[in-house]
Amino acid sequence: MKLSSFRYIAPQCFKSMCHNGWMTAAAIITITISLFLCAFFWLLLLNVNANATDVEEDVRILAYVDFDVVPAERNEIEQTLGWIPGVENVLFVPKEQGINTLEERYGDQDLVESLGGVNPLPDMFSITAADTKQVSSIAEEVSRIEGIYEVRYGEGTVEKLLSLTDSLRKFGIVIMALLALCAVVLIAMAIRLTVQTRKKEIMVMKWVGATDAFIRWPFIMEGMILGLVGAGLALGLLLLLYSRVEIYASINLGFLNVLPLAEIWLSATGFTLGAGFLLGLIGSLFPVARFLDV
Amino acid sequence: MLIQTFNVGKIYKNGIAALTDINLNIDYGEFVFLTGASGAGKSTLIRLLFREEPPTAGQIMIGGRSVTRLTVPEMVRLRRNTGVVFQDFRLMEKGTVFDNVSFALKAVERPWAEIRRRVPEVLERVGLGGREHEHVMNLSGGEQQRVAVARAIINNPLILFADEPTGDLDPKTSGELMELFQEINSEGTTIVMATHDQNIVDRMQKRVLTLKSGYLIGDAVGGWQL
Repeated sequence: MKLSSFRYIAPQCFKSMCHNGWMTAAAIITITISLFLCAFFWLLLLNVNANATDVEEDVRILAYVDFDVVPAERNEIEQTLGWIPGVENVLFVPKEQGINTLEERYGDQDLVESLGGVNPLPDMFSITAADTKQVSSIAEEVSRIEGIYEVRYGEGTVEKLLSLTDSLRKFGIVIMALLALCAVVLIAMAIRLTVQTRKKEIMVMKWVGATDAFIRWPFIMEGMILGLVGAGLALGLLLLLYSRVEIYASINLGFLNVLPLAEIWLSATGFTLGAGFLLGLIGSLFPVARFLDV
Repeated sequence: MLIQTFNVGKIYKNGIAALTDINLNIDYGEFVFLTGASGAGKSTLIRLLFREEPPTAGQIMIGGRSVTRLTVPEMVRLRRNTGVVFQDFRLMEKGTVFDNVSFALKAVERPWAEIRRRVPEVLERVGLGGREHEHVMNLSGGEQQRVAVARAIINNPLILFADEPTGDLDPKTSGELMELFQEINSEGTTIVMATHDQNIVDRMQKRVLTLKSGYLIGDAVGGWQL
């Protein structure tokens, strides 16, 4: 098809959209809502994944030292810990530092006093593994060392988080597929209406020898415009909402790692506009193929 | 031969046999009337000839090619060489004369310079010179049919098919339209026109193919045969 034909096709496409104003508006609103929710779920998954990775990377093994261990024995234990394969770093945390950390976390300046002047915490070692996959095997070896009475490494936390991410991903994919289907159906309905209103014109085009492409392009273009306009609106709403969430989270939910807008805006734009374009294309191809026997 | 049919038949899905065993030859430059009563099969034959629908039996050859075996590009080429006019004009009511006539050139992707040059020329030829910006719904029936004819001939077709083009027109306007068809034919375009108007057929004295209940029962030059 000649490029100059778009001089005819483009105005036809906009005329149809204006002529079926309500259907066009309904299709755009549905696409906007669908794509907004799709992109929202996608960003949610990105953030959950990022947080899961953070947690995974931050897994430490805490080894609590028996109360009757003397400093010389403690040094020996520290040396033994350093020899365990896969251990990257061993940090001794005396019980005084432990209670200070607790006081800071709970905002209680006199925790020891309120406990009757006795620090009940044991000394401990904070061990970092070179590879998070080795954490459980290292913990098992640490627990066998004499002078260590308990080992903790947040058993199950990572697994739970990964399972949550997985569930969210599956749920998100189902929701996104349903929303995409809604958008495609609405686009198809809008295009079908256009095909019906332009039936006579289409017949004349066939009689005078217009090519299939020439007949189909205005409808395909309409579908793509509907998809892109809906996607543009969804993207605007999404970025606005995300910037607010980012600010809120940085002030009130410091423990959460919300991916910065500057880092995600480009991929969010690509995702939303690409999805809009694709949905518009699919939505327009169906009715054109079905209703135009050319 | 420009148009040839061999044992052409058409049976619709409801079982009605609209045409049976039609054999005919139409040469380049001929003016042929398809006549018969309502339901005789005139419009069906026209639709088969311009490949609006396929026959259920037989072969139709146009310019030596079987129209039932055409590829899509060949079909497009065939349609660019044929013009069609209907009883109800089938114009785009919301458009102007220019919109309707230029549409046939836009659809075959002619350059804009050619469209701007050709439309006034063809309107002049059908007697509507200088009226390109008038809305088609403000025109009389005869004028609307002239717009339809202009649209059909603007691509210089080899064949012009006309299905009851005078059906909705008064006798005077019908006469004027037939004069226009005569002119177009004298310039080399083959015309195949379905009509049940005995006066027109008698006055024109052209070749007349007579259909009755889907059968071709007459083929002679002259007036009405039934």
